[in-house]
Amino acid sequence: MRRFLDRHWYAYAMVLPVVVVVAVLVLYPLVQGVYFTFTDVNEATIANPVLDRPATYEFTGLRNYLNVLSGDSSYGAFWSTLVRTLIWTFGCVFFHYTIGLGLALLLNRQVRGRSLYRVALVLPWAVPAFISAFAWKYMFNAQYGIVNQVLRAVGLPDPVWLGQSDWALVAVVVVNVWLGVPFMMVALLGGLQSIPGDLYEAAEVDGATPWQRFRDITLPGLRSVSSTVVLLGVIWTFNMFAIVYLVAGPNPNTRILVTYAFERFFSGASRDYAVASTYGVLILSVLLVFASVYRRALREQGEVW
Amino acid sequence: MAEVAYDSASRIFSGNPPVRAVDQLNLDVADGEFLVLVGPSGSGKSTALRMLAGLEDVDEGAIKIGGKDVTNVPPKGRDIAMVFQSYALYPHMTVADNMGFALKLRGVDKGEIKNKVAEAAKMLDLTKYLDRKPKALSGGQRQRVAMGRAIVREPSVFLMDEPLSNLDAKLRVETRANIAALQQRLGTTTIYVTHDQVEAMTMGHRVAVLKDGLLQQCDTPRNLYDRPANAFVAGFMGSPAMNLKTVPLTSEGAKLDGVVVPLSRAALGGASGESLSEVTFGIRPEALGIVPSSEAGMDMTVELVEELGADALVHGAVRIGDSSERFVVRVDGRTPPTLGQNVKVAVRDTSEIHLFHPETGNRLDG
Repeated sequence: MRRFLDRHWYAYAMVLPVVVVVAVLVLYPLVQGVYFTFTDVNEATIANPVLDRPATYEFTGLRNYLNVLSGDSSYGAFWSTLVRTLIWTFGCVFFHYTIGLGLALLLNRQVRGRSLYRVALVLPWAVPAFISAFAWKYMFNAQYGIVNQVLRAVGLPDPVWLGQSDWALVAVVVVNVWLGVPFMMVALLGGLQSIPGDLYEAAEVDGATPWQRFRDITLPGLRSVSSTVVLLGVIWTFNMFAIVYLVAGPNPNTRILVTYAFERFFSGASRDYAVASTYGVLILSVLLVFASVYRRALREQGEVW
Repeated sequence: MAEVAYDSASRIFSGNPPVRAVDQLNLDVADGEFLVLVGPSGSGKSTALRMLAGLEDVDEGAIKIGGKDVTNVPPKGRDIAMVFQSYALYPHMTVADNMGFALKLRGVDKGEIKNKVAEAAKMLDLTKYLDRKPKALSGGQRQRVAMGRAIVREPSVFLMDEPLSNLDAKLRVETRANIAALQQRLGTTTIYVTHDQVEAMTMGHRVAVLKDGLLQQCDTPRNLYDRPANAFVAGFMGSPAMNLKTVPLTSEGAKLDGVVVPLSRAALGGASGESLSEVTFGIRPEALGIVPSSEAGMDMTVELVEELGADALVHGAVRIGDSSERFVVRVDGRTPPTLGQNVKVAVRDTSEIHLFHPETGNRLDG
């Protein structure tokens, strides 16, 4: 042991600061959050040094989990919110991926002014999210928004987009798709450019039609990039608080797991930290399960090359 | 199986000025022939092959396969198979899938694909590797898979674009022989591109030499070696390269360091017809020899001796006119001269002298 330390003390000394930072910034809050889920902590029971009030919350075991998982609407109707979250997540990621891939394919050929298009298409990324969220909010305004003006002009029904209906969910999906496409496009464009051109030539000589070349060369060639960006997209979208909340506010029709956790934490009469933490842990668990199942499914389909 | 014809085919790349990568190429390849396109890089040999494959447009002229004009037919409709320099194996498919891909696209029955792939794999000694991905194969095995992918198709023409350039020297020699034998056996018309003149000489029934997009000569390897049509072909074919020097011409022959080398009547006639005072004089290293100092010859100072085992290459300087010119002489490997030694070099066989026009480079005895 002594010899071990003698030999490796330098390496340990070098990684120690990182270990400390990660422990303080990531592990400690995580452990505390998990601990809160087993208590009845809220604004009234948490320690408050300003009021010189000690903590009075108590350990309650699995009660929070049982309450939340019962799906009771006073605890945010967990199951229906989860279903809405999944619809939101996969809806967004599906359109992110398909539109992003389409644009990447268009940009991957010799077009005049290609770099201009690239900049234009990355633009949604460069705008701060809250600005685009508010811009879209105005565009979706039922009376004065440009969306409904156009719809009225062509004689289509003009729904109240951000009202108490599922149209609100459609609206936030549209905004999030608009925001998320550039990332997919840039990542997939990089993937497309890494596919050697002679594979396409070989396939052409082998007699492949454009569609067959796309299916048998492009898609397999994009596999490793796709699998990574789809996983990232799912995680980001699942936890996308800003757009949902900034565009639609605390609207039960757009409520997903994170926005409910936020509502529970910061608003309402009691500021129920315990239930908000419980939601946090459940979100983490859902994502962990998804990620591991996803990775396994990919591995079974064959190695990523 | 089919014959191939380039009919004044050109490929012009846009630019300023436009580049004629392949310029008015006329070439007829017989059914079952193994034709090698050879040339230095940038000579247009690969472009010519890609024009035949349909991967490159034909800007002027036409290309025919089996008598049918395919100038505007996409690659799919040309019934050709191509082996790429990089092999271009599909990385996500197994060896078997790679080889059967074209048949699968054509909608051939699965069992039949399997049989054909197995047959080709047996021919190429790939049976053990059919379930592997290209990533898990060595360079030589990948090369064979690329060959197998072409064979399984049973095309009317094989196109090969420097298929051996990514292999190490020993494997290259081995594979060279295998490809030639395979072509013999299948009897499929084959166009083979290489920059390596040894490959060209050993594999081709006929060899077409290109330079700057222009066809220099197309002949059997023997004829290319014995009667190169111009100074470029003379210098390009053969290793080490032919000694090519510009020398003064007298009525008896070519003047080299005080020695007058007698020339054939045809060559002299060609030179006098053009009233030349100088000619490009070419002689291969093996047509020169070191002679005893008492005999007539050129004085050469040995600057480098490359011992190859069976023979040795002696590089040395000879004075021609006012300048010192480098010559290479092939000598017996057991008794090479030493560095710095002064030796006498003479032409062993005057019938192996090649004379070219000093400006156009064309052969003088027609």
